[in-house]
Amino acid sequence: MKKELKFKVNGQPYDIFVKPKTLLSEVLRDELGLTGTKRGCNSSSCGACTVMLNGMSVKSCSVLAIQANGAEVVTVEGLAKGNKLSPLQRAFLDHGSYQCGFCTPGMLMSSTALLTENPKPTKEEIREGIDGNICRCTGYNSIIRAVTAVVKGEYKEAK
Amino acid sequence: MKIEGTFTMKAPIQKVWDFLMAPGTLASCIPGAEKMEAVDDTTWEGIVKQRVGPIGVKINFTQTLSEVQPPKHLKAVGRGAAMGGAGTFTQETIVDLKEIAGGEVEVAYSSNVSMVGRLATFGERIMRAKVNKVGTEFTQNLQKKLESQVGG
Amino acid sequence: MIHDFEYFAPKTLKEALALLDKYQDDCKVICGGQSLLVLMRQGLVAPPYMIDIKGISELSYIKDEKDGLKIGAITTHRAIEKSAVIKKKYPLLAKMETRLASIQTRNWGTIGGNVCHGDPAGDPAAVFIALGATFTMTGSKGKRSMPAEDFSLDYFETALEPGELLTEISVPPVPPKTGSAYYKFNVIESDLATASVAATVTLGAGDVCKDIRLALGASAPIPLRPKKAEAILKGKKITDALLKQAGEAAVKEAEPISDIYASEEYRRELIKVLVPRMTREAMDKAKKA
Repeated sequence: MKKELKFKVNGQPYDIFVKPKTLLSEVLRDELGLTGTKRGCNSSSCGACTVMLNGMSVKSCSVLAIQANGAEVVTVEGLAKGNKLSPLQRAFLDHGSYQCGFCTPGMLMSSTALLTENPKPTKEEIREGIDGNICRCTGYNSIIRAVTAVVKGEYKEAK
Repeated sequence: MKIEGTFTMKAPIQKVWDFLMAPGTLASCIPGAEKMEAVDDTTWEGIVKQRVGPIGVKINFTQTLSEVQPPKHLKAVGRGAAMGGAGTFTQETIVDLKEIAGGEVEVAYSSNVSMVGRLATFGERIMRAKVNKVGTEFTQNLQKKLESQVGG
Repeated sequence: MIHDFEYFAPKTLKEALALLDKYQDDCKVICGGQSLLVLMRQGLVAPPYMIDIKGISELSYIKDEKDGLKIGAITTHRAIEKSAVIKKKYPLLAKMETRLASIQTRNWGTIGGNVCHGDPAGDPAAVFIALGATFTMTGSKGKRSMPAEDFSLDYFETALEPGELLTEISVPPVPPKTGSAYYKFNVIESDLATASVAATVTLGAGDVCKDIRLALGASAPIPLRPKKAEAILKGKKITDALLKQAGEAAVKEAEPISDIYASEEYRRELIKVLVPRMTREAMDKAKKA
């Protein structure tokens, strides 16, 4: 029997009915068409499905959608303000912090969550901040450089 | 994981052999075995149920005798698929009998149980120790059965 | 493929217990789901009824009281990791949490869920044993409590009876001249322990070991308290020679297995080295306390 799921995603309210067994990643991608959140492993290992749930980063493949009832979710699609990319997104572009791009949404979400909680992390804290996200291509250093650049204030929030 | 060992029994070697070869002896030693039925002289089929924490498995199991060299050596090979396709189990058991002094028989056994499939990949943490335990329990059951039914 | 299930989200403990009594073995409790969903996604666990206790706010708390620290069972790992009072008075708990999985898992997963899943490689269980914690479980018939080391019965099996929920974990106040240490050996940063050791040492007059609690993770079917190893050290002035003996005794008490992460021999070697090392670290902290 389907249950009502009333929640906000990227500021937009949704009121839908889902089977309780549906995962948050499935609702975001298959119901709402927000395919920025990736299904990397479906085994809670890779972090490519990371989103923010009530301001906390979570692996959306490991959360039942129904548990997001009444919550506010932010996905990678919600980082930019209209056409204006977030400082982290611009830093990622400038530093080449992606190759295949599959881990990138998760990396952006984990980095965003890190900087929201701790605007001036040390390099060690940046590494810890992304340790729940696996990257196959970059070797992580370009990602860390991008986050460091934002921490240093090289990228300002777009108006 | 392989479990190997030996034990001695006071009984004529032929008696021990006949008991081992009797329909269902080996199959009934499988922990969690239910409804084992003989298909022919060397093959049995049945259901094996096991549980570890939140995971329960029901396996359709078949055991076949291969390498039969009376009255000294036998090998039994078992294979089972967990219902629902969660994994496949294989079991290999070898029993060697040797007559030793004083009317005693030395029974040497080795048992190897392994698992592949989703249970092995995702349930490894949970099932691995249980799979090892099953191997050990099988050999313990075998020894108990032989001692109580045949020897001294 | 997760199988379909009927879903309930009780808002109070009373409601949850009534549901557990009603559905008994047919239901499974979910909270953060960080361990359970891994199994359910693979179809290895498929209960027809799920009781989601994440919304029972009365079970989420961290209270620093005169008789010790009280943690509600559905408190998230992240809340424990970031708690000011825990960082100050029970820092080993906060440290343990920083080594547990990754931030995303800690944000949603709960301390009670972790302990009830019953993985002997879990970080909290060993640390709670070393800290002398008590677990309280509640059923419709009432509450009962037991020491942390009695809670685990076997691989993924705990002392929780059907109809019961773990509701609180309490840690006694730290006695003077006490230090604790925890080390988790793993291959990948956010993995479960290949082997882990937790130690608490209380020193008495003349720096004699007045009390010692050791716990081994991922070394047996349950998080193990190696009592023979403890007996070698308790009541004595701890020397390197005694620590070596204790390490060897702990190895004999442990029952590690071989799996894809490490062989049995490798795990035994880890225990042999980590028990003396963590005991010494705890003792050094106790001296400064």
